[in-house]
Amino acid sequence: MSPWLALAARSAWNRRLTLGLTLAAVSLSVALLLGVERLRHDARESFALSVSGTDLVVGARTSPVQLMLYAVFRIGEATNNIRWNAYRAIAADPAIAWTIPISLGDSHRGYPVLGTTPDYFAHFRYGNARPLAFSAGRRFDGVFDAVLGADVADKLGYRIGDRIVLSHGIGGVGLPEHADKPFSVVGILARTGTPVDRTVHVSLEAITAIHLDWQGGAPVPGFSIPAQYVRKFDLAPKEITAALIGLKSRAAVFRVQRAVNDYAGEPLLAVLPGVALDQLWDVVGIAEKTLLAVSAMVVAVGLTGLVAVVLAGLNERRRELAILRSVGARPRGIFLLLSIEGLCVTALGSVLGVVLLDALTLLARPFAQSAYGLAIRPQLVSLRELRLLAAVIAVGLLASLVPGYRAYRLSLADGLSPRL
Amino acid sequence: MRTTSLALSLAALLLLQGSGAGFAAENGGYRVGDRLQSRAARKDAKAHYQEIGWNALIPEGWDPAAAFRNIDFSRLSDADPRASNALDALRKAWDEAPVEPGWNGQRVRLPGFVVPLERRGEQVTEFLLVPYFGACIHVPPPPANQIIDVFPAKPVKNLRTMDAVWVVGVLETLRSQPKTDSDHRMGMGTAGYRMKAERIEPYKER
Repeated sequence: MSPWLALAARSAWNRRLTLGLTLAAVSLSVALLLGVERLRHDARESFALSVSGTDLVVGARTSPVQLMLYAVFRIGEATNNIRWNAYRAIAADPAIAWTIPISLGDSHRGYPVLGTTPDYFAHFRYGNARPLAFSAGRRFDGVFDAVLGADVADKLGYRIGDRIVLSHGIGGVGLPEHADKPFSVVGILARTGTPVDRTVHVSLEAITAIHLDWQGGAPVPGFSIPAQYVRKFDLAPKEITAALIGLKSRAAVFRVQRAVNDYAGEPLLAVLPGVALDQLWDVVGIAEKTLLAVSAMVVAVGLTGLVAVVLAGLNERRRELAILRSVGARPRGIFLLLSIEGLCVTALGSVLGVVLLDALTLLARPFAQSAYGLAIRPQLVSLRELRLLAAVIAVGLLASLVPGYRAYRLSLADGLSPRL
Repeated sequence: MRTTSLALSLAALLLLQGSGAGFAAENGGYRVGDRLQSRAARKDAKAHYQEIGWNALIPEGWDPAAAFRNIDFSRLSDADPRASNALDALRKAWDEAPVEPGWNGQRVRLPGFVVPLERRGEQVTEFLLVPYFGACIHVPPPPANQIIDVFPAKPVKNLRTMDAVWVVGVLETLRSQPKTDSDHRMGMGTAGYRMKAERIEPYKER
């Protein structure tokens, strides 16, 4: 069989342009298919990494998915705040081990600002129950102290002692600034691979302080309170956006959840992060399936192109195949030759697709990390991806049987006298 | 010929996608309040575990409906304070429901529905097992002695909220001593069940 293979390789080399383009099409479509699958997996991994050890997330009444999105993943904006009194009342439940209040709504150059208490650094967990660690500096304790996430510090080049100015509102440019009350960077957190990396942390008192001379989302004209005098005012928070709750015993979670949902003072919602994540996947799952179906179709188009190219080449290769027959190739040999050619292109295309995807991942990685907080990484092929690849190659093999069969029939009919 | 190969490849790819469903596929036909059947208190000598039902976790003599005993609901309107008082008392009793200490250290197998708590990537590393479908999410939660905090020996893939599973493992009863009177009043003395699960399998009707 080896002389046949050598012949087949040379024949393929002779048609390198068309075959090469087909190979490119197949590898691009495979890269797309695997890319969609990998993005889906990495997104889920990132989301699941962002919350750990938190038994309940409490916020204003809204959809559980939305509460999770803005309170934990910092995606979108809060629908409503909860009053400080309501938070105090709920936090007093003896079943609760710790609570972390969260106040959102301001930003710094596109990065969200989170007002909280020092409990955040003590109790917040991510990944596999890992606590937050500082790569430099310390927790905030003054009113105008800020602790930066790893990405914020990296991208904007901040160090300990730098002064930063917060903006009112989230996203976009031209937001009104709290320019009269700059913050100084006192700590930088170690990288976590979660939304914490993209967050600027300040104290709840700071959030109150920078809004002292504001009314209805804008500075009051002709009225400003200089930074050095804010301590003379009551800086106790009036409202927070959400709270994370940890319980002493996890079996009490349903009771506390019910206590929060039934709180008479104002409409509140408590969600179990694990359950809300499942609900999120239900929503996102539809889009994921659509994307996967579209990329499967692209692979199908690529393979159809492959079949078309090999079929179209058959006419030009009638003489070649006839000569092969004359030197002793059986019709079955011709069938195998053409089928294996298609299979080889599919297999090579799949391998190239994986390489291409890894190269693209390497290139897109810093962008995806800083813009979306999505930790994508080049990796060896996972089991699920292997199954996809196997499917692609199996379909490629099936599709290659078509030109193989046609050549088989032609070589029987044409014999040695092709009409040219 | 082009269309056949296209349809063929699509079908193959989509079929392969579908096979990843795993546990989720088992969750089809349950409705809120549905319970799973287990052959109660069956000793399986070969496997060294005891198959139990949820009722076995309730200590003998504890009456979940004690607060309702002396009330004739047909004589009360919904707005009657006695009705809501009784409901409050019932909830309090359920939150403080005692456990059966005899189960401590017993190796058991029982079926239930999953409420995931902790994840590592797409895998679940801790979940609560509850006796009826929709428990705690759509309907009032079950008594404290009908909730098991399950720690799988190794993370479970494809496990989603309200999937029906069998778990096999050693039960542990927790008895947290109330520290103060107010703790006691708030039901912080409540104990609960915990399990290190050796095996978790999708539930199948037999």
